[in-house]
Amino acid sequence: MALFPLFSLFEDDFVIQVLPVDTEDTMDEVAQKCAYHTVERRQVARPDEVLRVQRHSNGELFPRDMKVQDAGLLPTETIDVVYEKKKD
Amino acid sequence: MSMMKREEWYDLTRTTNWTPKYVSEDELFPEEMSGARGIPMAEWDTYDEPYKVTYSEYVETQREKDAGIYSVKAALSRSKFMDGIDPGWESTMQAHYGAVALAEYAASIAETRMARFAKAPGNRNMATYGMLDENRHGQHQLYFPHTYTERSRQWDWAWKANHTNEWAAVAGKNFFDDVMLTRDAVTTSIMLTFSFETGFTNMQFLGLAADAAETGDHTFASLISSIQTDESRHAQQGGPSLKILIANGKKKEAQEMVDLSIWKAWRLFSVLTGPIMDYYTPVAHRKQSFKEFMEEWIVAQFERQLLDIGLDLPWYWDEFIADIADRHHAMHLGVWYWRPTAWWNPAAGAGKAERAWLEEKYPGWNDTYGKCWDVITDNILNDRKDLTLPETLPAICHTGFIPLVTTPNKKRAAGKLVDYQLEYEGRLYHFNSEVDKWVFETDPERYKGVMNAVDHFLAGHIDPPDLGGALTWMGLSPGEMGDDAHNYAWAEDFRK
Repeated sequence: MALFPLFSLFEDDFVIQVLPVDTEDTMDEVAQKCAYHTVERRQVARPDEVLRVQRHSNGELFPRDMKVQDAGLLPTETIDVVYEKKKD
Repeated sequence: MSMMKREEWYDLTRTTNWTPKYVSEDELFPEEMSGARGIPMAEWDTYDEPYKVTYSEYVETQREKDAGIYSVKAALSRSKFMDGIDPGWESTMQAHYGAVALAEYAASIAETRMARFAKAPGNRNMATYGMLDENRHGQHQLYFPHTYTERSRQWDWAWKANHTNEWAAVAGKNFFDDVMLTRDAVTTSIMLTFSFETGFTNMQFLGLAADAAETGDHTFASLISSIQTDESRHAQQGGPSLKILIANGKKKEAQEMVDLSIWKAWRLFSVLTGPIMDYYTPVAHRKQSFKEFMEEWIVAQFERQLLDIGLDLPWYWDEFIADIADRHHAMHLGVWYWRPTAWWNPAAGAGKAERAWLEEKYPGWNDTYGKCWDVITDNILNDRKDLTLPETLPAICHTGFIPLVTTPNKKRAAGKLVDYQLEYEGRLYHFNSEVDKWVFETDPERYKGVMNAVDHFLAGHIDPPDLGGALTWMGLSPGEMGDDAHNYAWAEDFRK
């Protein structure tokens, strides 16, 4: 377990924010930590939708149960937290 | 004995490129300070400043200017103007003075470098006056706000801001250090006077003077109009330097200097001047929108001047044009949300009348930025102000030293990023655009060591490592930290 700094952009928000996470956090936990700094602050809540984490630079979508330490992210690398696209 | 006319002796008296006997030319004008780039002295002799002034004329004019602004100040200091002023305007002045006063003093050093090290005699002559100008601007813009320090400690930030780690002050220092304090004389004449002063100080001083006059703040209007008359004279030092560079095969270097400094100046103005014009100034007193001012004073002016002088428009011009209608809205939202980190009280400018004005001037504002303000407004009305305050820091661009932002509630164009990341010598750098990244890549050795507030936070320099620790680190004490300028009264427009 170790503190790991990421930068995160929540879907539809206007700013990238500093997001301290833990190397043991799953991507679902990372998404929730990111949401804390945006949802109900500058974005309305969408409680029925699933949040996903993707690499900002290339859109690579991380599995929901993947741990931060296994994602190959660099310290302070920027991630997007996005609502999962609904399947047609 | 009859006096000769000025034009009969001016050129002769300022032709001071004598042949040195006791030192070499390189010792007299070291390249790192002069920046002549191998262009011979004879070419610098041809420097022809468009605005010619003698010392006696300068002193006489400056004396009249000072008499003018001090008489206005004396006449109006007995009025109760400040007691009845809209709080948004008071914030405007506090932000302006803190951002500008000591930068003016620093500009005096940049002018001094040109006065001593420029190889062009005309540049040395003009810079001597520029040096005196900037000293005057620093002194006036410390003295005028000092009148109000009894009103609140935020006024003291006219002096204090540049001595702190406060993020906006650091963004300003980063810019001015880069374009005017760490460059040779020729580069300084271009980056500081041509790029920054020709366009952007016009914007700050004439644009704000217009708003000040509309607001009834005649002291501020007369002060900054007076300053601008100096700026418009000494801003003309860069044009002749550019002509000499272009005539001597250095167009590529000249173009890069202009492109880089216009972009960096724009970044700073998007956060300091944009919010002031479109949000802080009471809506009834707004002369033009920030975008309209930008189009008139920056875009049109630069397009004409660059082409006249033989340069091209900066390679990023289309992105710049799009940016002037958008970026400052994000900057304002950020400054307001992180308002405890400012030395002034940001005015939200998001009441019903203000929002109607924003939608008229910036069609689509309600569907993008407005949706964020909807959530903020609801939180204020529902006694959840805690949700309108930050619990983390924004990520900061390593070129502009301002937050990495994007238009909210709007799908980005394919391939467009918010953060252009670059790993250089094992460190990850962040840039808000391709242009910001390009600035770094023009000279990575110059820029690679930069540390913004987030870098200091992550390096453990902020203790405790939270927002409270960051505020202490920035030098912000209770009574200085920003809060909503109107005590959230604007939100009542929306109470059902």
